[in-house]
Amino acid sequence: MKKSTYIYRAFERFWHWSQALLIFFLALTGFEIHGTFQLFGFENVVRWHDTAAWAFLILIIFAIFWHFATGEWKQYIPTTKYITAQFSYYISGIFKGAPHPTHKTIYNKFNPIQRFIYLGLKLLVIPLQVLTGFIYMFYIYPNNPIHESGLSIIAIIHTLGAFALLAFVIAHVYLTTTGDTPLSSIIAMITGWEVIDLDEKEERQKNLQHAVDDSAAGYYRIDSDGIIQDVNEAWLKMYHCKDRTMVIGKHFSHTRDERNLKELEELVNSVMHGEMITGRPVNRKTFDGMEGRHLLSANPIVEEGKITGMEGFIMDIKEHDELMEHMYHTVRNSGAGYYRLNKDGIIMDVNEAWLKLYKYDHKDEVVGKHFALTRRPEDVEGLQQSVDKVLNGKVISGKLEIRKCKDNTTGKHILSANPFCIGNKPMGMEGFILDITHLYDKPQDK
Amino acid sequence: MLMIRKSQEKFIRLLVLFIAILLPWVLGAIYLNKANMDEALDSLIAVNFKKDTLPRVDHSKYRTLNKEFKTPQEVTEACLSCHNMTAQEVMQSSHWKWSREYINEKGDTIQLGKKNIINNFCMGVTSNEARCTSCHIGYGWKDENFDFADSRNIDCIVCHDQTGTYKKFPTDAGYPASEAKIFDGQTYQVPDYTLIAQNIGSPTNQNCGACHFVGGGGNNVKHGDIANELNHVSHEVDVHMGIDGGDMDCVDCHKTERHNISGNLYSIASIDTNRVSCESCHSEAPHKNKILEQHSAKIACQTCHIPSFAKVSATKMFWDWSTAGQFNEDGSMRVEKDSMGNITYHSKKGSFQWETDVVPSYQWFNGEAQHYVLGDEIDTSQSVKLNTLLGEYKDKNSKIIPVKVHEAKQIYDDVNNTMVLPHLFGKDSSAYWKNFDWQKAATMGMKEAELEYSGSYDFIHTVMYWPVNHMVAPKEESLQCIDCHSRDSRLADLTDFYLPGRDRSISLDFMGFAMIILSTLGVVIHGFLRIIKKK
Repeated sequence: MKKSTYIYRAFERFWHWSQALLIFFLALTGFEIHGTFQLFGFENVVRWHDTAAWAFLILIIFAIFWHFATGEWKQYIPTTKYITAQFSYYISGIFKGAPHPTHKTIYNKFNPIQRFIYLGLKLLVIPLQVLTGFIYMFYIYPNNPIHESGLSIIAIIHTLGAFALLAFVIAHVYLTTTGDTPLSSIIAMITGWEVIDLDEKEERQKNLQHAVDDSAAGYYRIDSDGIIQDVNEAWLKMYHCKDRTMVIGKHFSHTRDERNLKELEELVNSVMHGEMITGRPVNRKTFDGMEGRHLLSANPIVEEGKITGMEGFIMDIKEHDELMEHMYHTVRNSGAGYYRLNKDGIIMDVNEAWLKLYKYDHKDEVVGKHFALTRRPEDVEGLQQSVDKVLNGKVISGKLEIRKCKDNTTGKHILSANPFCIGNKPMGMEGFILDITHLYDKPQDK
Repeated sequence: MLMIRKSQEKFIRLLVLFIAILLPWVLGAIYLNKANMDEALDSLIAVNFKKDTLPRVDHSKYRTLNKEFKTPQEVTEACLSCHNMTAQEVMQSSHWKWSREYINEKGDTIQLGKKNIINNFCMGVTSNEARCTSCHIGYGWKDENFDFADSRNIDCIVCHDQTGTYKKFPTDAGYPASEAKIFDGQTYQVPDYTLIAQNIGSPTNQNCGACHFVGGGGNNVKHGDIANELNHVSHEVDVHMGIDGGDMDCVDCHKTERHNISGNLYSIASIDTNRVSCESCHSEAPHKNKILEQHSAKIACQTCHIPSFAKVSATKMFWDWSTAGQFNEDGSMRVEKDSMGNITYHSKKGSFQWETDVVPSYQWFNGEAQHYVLGDEIDTSQSVKLNTLLGEYKDKNSKIIPVKVHEAKQIYDDVNNTMVLPHLFGKDSSAYWKNFDWQKAATMGMKEAELEYSGSYDFIHTVMYWPVNHMVAPKEESLQCIDCHSRDSRLADLTDFYLPGRDRSISLDFMGFAMIILSTLGVVIHGFLRIIKKK
């Protein structure tokens, strides 16, 4: 996945361009000192070269600090992975329009050749230049005890380093044109922004971390001894706790009162043996001694094939949620049949009682079907009118209906219906049916 | 709205980055500029320099001097009658003895100096005394019998005369004319001793210059950096002695204590003692520029501050004795001159080469010199160095100094391989300038010098090194960095150290530039291929 990304930070760009200017300036003045040409006058260039050398030293000190402070030094750890691919890309692939063998990401800005070359510059060429340069500057014979060979060795090494840097600059400037467009790399180094590949795993981890940190759900992690290792802000809030240190390092038994502790211990025990809990309502004991209720999920943490702990989320269940929960169970377990249609008349949900009344074996046989399935052809029209009314906001209570069952037999029931809304827009209809077949049939039977 | 704000923010960020990159450069430029300004304000500070111009004594008031003197010795007696300890001081000096202690190759300490050394001008004093000793501060050194212990023979007035009328006669062993005489077209009068004796003072440039400016037989012949014109030049020629410059006298720098005059010239001197140094007045660190200052560890002041010598009159650079003895067809003396009036050929002396505004040679020098001592065997496969200035880069005490190199072809004994000291001057039959017979001159000269002579002679190339210390130029004319720090460096001959700008590893430079050219070519070809492959 490609994305415009802020890849070069302000200091990095300042450092890069200052270093580029300094190298150019030092080469220009240095080769005049070397006697290659005469341009600004020897006295001037010596003074400028010395001053630029001090500036470079200061810049290097800041840059070293920056690399360690930001961890960017890791970008330069050399690797041979894909190095031959990178070489063959520059030698042949690039002419055939082949894709880059490696992808620039914010965590991996350099290809393997760049890593080697830049590391070589940072650890070898630039230190050598700085060292020989400052020896050169302070080599004031005869105030200096080591003088046997004079300046020549130092001067030759310094010149060698200068040639190496010049060759690097030529290749480096050219290779900046091998980006997406010839100028994209240079513009990136000016503005900081470049369209680059995202490391999806890293991105997800980063996003996930945010999700966990900011989630309304409470997150927890405990180790195999039941000691709490980590909780997020939402967890602390649910437990009425302001200080994370009061939680971390404590046993999970602090989160339950005696009545509920055994249940949790069993749960933990089962998770530690590999089970996953997807959502179980439990009672918590908050840190100020109150009670609360939440849904708990838990899964084992596996490291190197061994279960080393357990983590999961908790979702608070407030009072009205609890009521809804009761209703859910009531509906689920009542003898009344429950149904829900969407506004197109498609059956979305039914309960066990409904299936029983209609003599179906499984929900799947009806969910997703139109309600016409449940009526004799002559009765469909009547039901359609009811549905239309409800979708217009009417509530129907106790209307007699004749149903058509799976085996084409019929039955009678009383139907209630009301619209269900999302926001204030009716999205469908739901209600209950109560069987009255026996009220009519029995007298008939007699 | 949002877009505009965003692009504005981006622009400001880039601007800040741009300023952050440029700011250090601006600061650096300001700093360097300021350093330059400081240097421009640099003014000359002389330390330890005092000039006492008031006479301490009015000699005309002394009754002893208010009489008629018949001989110059009588003047000396009058001087010594008051300055009764001074003769001892004078007779200790090298001006009197014409020799100093010298440790020869064998390690023996011998007396060596003007009196017994050989140079490549008129070669030597022995057997030619009456001519040479016209520059001795004494009377009557005409042969080896001269009494160096007789204080009456001291010539006080040649150095102390303030009238400018006293002259020694050129061929009279240090005596002034005893009756009006002509030499080389010039009339020498008997000096007015009474006038001179009553006008005595500290030596002026004319006193010193009477001998030192004309060493070698003419103006500026020997030294090249001291000549008659120094009596009246502008500071462009010599900042110290120029009348619009320091207007200084020789003795202002050549400080003298009890007739021991400081200063050595290593054409004759050999030991690092009693030297005159620039630092004694200019301090050890006269430059504001630190880098210049650091140079003084290895570079003598003279090297940069005397960019050339013999600025006004020419100095002799080469003397070929082997061509002497040729005459015009009519048998008369053959004398040739160049357009400037410098003699380029003389029957008595051979051929000369002259130069003006000479760029010095440069040598390492640590204050010690070695000399060819008469009788020493020479290596005939190379030029004979009559004096050798010691020093090298690795020697802590060595500095680079400017030097006049005087070359010559002169006579030597090609059997014994020793230099010959010929008898040039005299009225006898063996003097070369009378008879033009090298064999006789050599035989006589060597006999007088008590040296062996095989009877066979030839001519050999010889070299002398004359350190250049005078004709200090105004500072604007001092050498610039580039004079040494460049491929055609003035220091081209001093190859025992690495000199930035002059030196390089040619193979490294070749490889380096080849690498630059190849990488540029590689990049161009690679880019070209990319472009055509795309199409």
